[in-house]
This record gives sequence, structure tokens and C-alpha cells, in this order.
Amino acid sequence: MAATTTRRVDIPQNYETISWKWMRYSGILMIPLVWVHVILQDVIVGVHAMDAAYVASRWGVLFWQVYDILLLGFTFAHGVNGLRQVLRDYIHRPDYLRWINIGLLIFWAVISFIGAFAIVNATNSVLFQ
Amino acid sequence: MTTLRTALTGYLRYRGREGQYSFLLHRLTGLGTLLFLVIHIIDMAAFYWSPEFFQDALELYRLPIFQLGEIALVFAVFYHGANGLRIAVVDMFLPHQWAINAQRNAARWTLVITLLLWLPAALYMGYRIFNPEFSLF
Repeated sequence: MAATTTRRVDIPQNYETISWKWMRYSGILMIPLVWVHVILQDVIVGVHAMDAAYVASRWGVLFWQVYDILLLGFTFAHGVNGLRQVLRDYIHRPDYLRWINIGLLIFWAVISFIGAFAIVNATNSVLFQ
Repeated sequence: MTTLRTALTGYLRYRGREGQYSFLLHRLTGLGTLLFLVIHIIDMAAFYWSPEFFQDALELYRLPIFQLGEIALVFAVFYHGANGLRIAVVDMFLPHQWAINAQRNAARWTLVITLLLWLPAALYMGYRIFNPEFSLF
């Protein structure tokens, strides 16, 4: 039997380590969160049964507002961080990566804000009867 | 650009079997889902910001081509979730399972589970493209 060699590795607690864990923990959480959303909206209800009144009926209920905020927060942060990891595989110049990081951070913040603001203020929409 | 070309030709030439195919499928389904997610956040945000745009987007999604895309999206979400669960659980709780044969099997099972979830959904959604009024629920 071959001898076993063990090697100690100190994992630095930097941004990349946190991001690595984030992708996995958020991923596990999103399986119930996203699959319920997709099965309910895309499969069971379907786009033909959807209109402004349907959206108003959901966003008039606090539970679904909170659900959709969680959905937005987890999926979009996971997605943009995933895109950042994909880009890092093909782009290696540190100055490019710096601008990509800044660009993605602004993109994430702006889109998240637009979406979250709309959910929180849905009842003030003219479509909300 | 060269890095990207090397990567893309490498994806075609490298014969990494199940591990490589699940890596590629994970990446493609992730990027595809993100593309739709950005559009979807904006169209739903329009419920508040721009009611006309919200109504237009809804009309667009009712076109058969978008409904076909929606069926593909459901596959992407199921596969990315199932495969992501495999990666996350093995990475964090069962690292000794990172062995080539175990993961070749796990990668095949991931695809089987995805197809079992997706096929009934795809059939139902596909039938509804031609019969918009149809509903089992």
C-alpha cells in the first residue's frame, strides 16, 4: 500500500474565497427558490394566463413581494458573479479585469435597484387596480 | 482574443468526456439564464417604471418563438441547478467523491434527473404553444 502524504494548505480568506463559497451556498438555496418560481410561473400558469392583473394580484401580497425580492437578490448576484468568473477564464490582463470588475459592479447595482424598487413600490403602479 | 480562440478550439478538441461536457453545459446554461434574467428583471420592473413597455414585453413573450425559448430556459434552469447541486455538495461536504469514475456517473445521473424533470414540463409547455387555452391546473 502506498504511503499517504498530507499537505497543509492555508486558504486565504479573501474576496475570491468568499465568492467561491457564495456561489455554492446561494446555489443550494436557489434550487427550491428558483425551481418553485419556474415551475409555478412558466409551467403551471404560463405566459398566456399572465397579464397586469395577475402581477398585481401577486405583488399585492407581502409574501410574494418578499419572495420575488429574494429571487432577484440571489439570482442576479449569483449570475453576475458567475459572469465575472467566466470572463476571468478568457481575459488575463489585470487592467482589463479591473475595469470589468468595476463595470459589472455598477451593472449589478443599477439593475438590482431598478428591479427591487419596482417590487417594493408595485402597489403605486398605474397597473395596480 | 487569442485566449478566447484557444479556449474555444480547446473545447472542441479536448476529449474530457462527461466532466468536460457538464462543464460546458453548466457554463452555457448559466450564461443563457443570466441573459434572460437581465431581460426579465427589466420587463418586470417595467410594471412600475413603464406600463406600456410591460404590456409590449408580455405580447412578445406570447409569440411561439419566445415560448420555444421559454422551454429551453426551463431546461437551462433545471440542468444548471441539478449540476450546481452536484458541484456544491461534493465540494463542500463530500470532497473525497471528486474521483473520475464517481463523477462520470454523477454527471450522467445529473443529466437523467434533468431530463426527467424537464420532459413533462416541455411536453406540457409545447402542447400549450398550439393550444393557448389548455390548462391542467
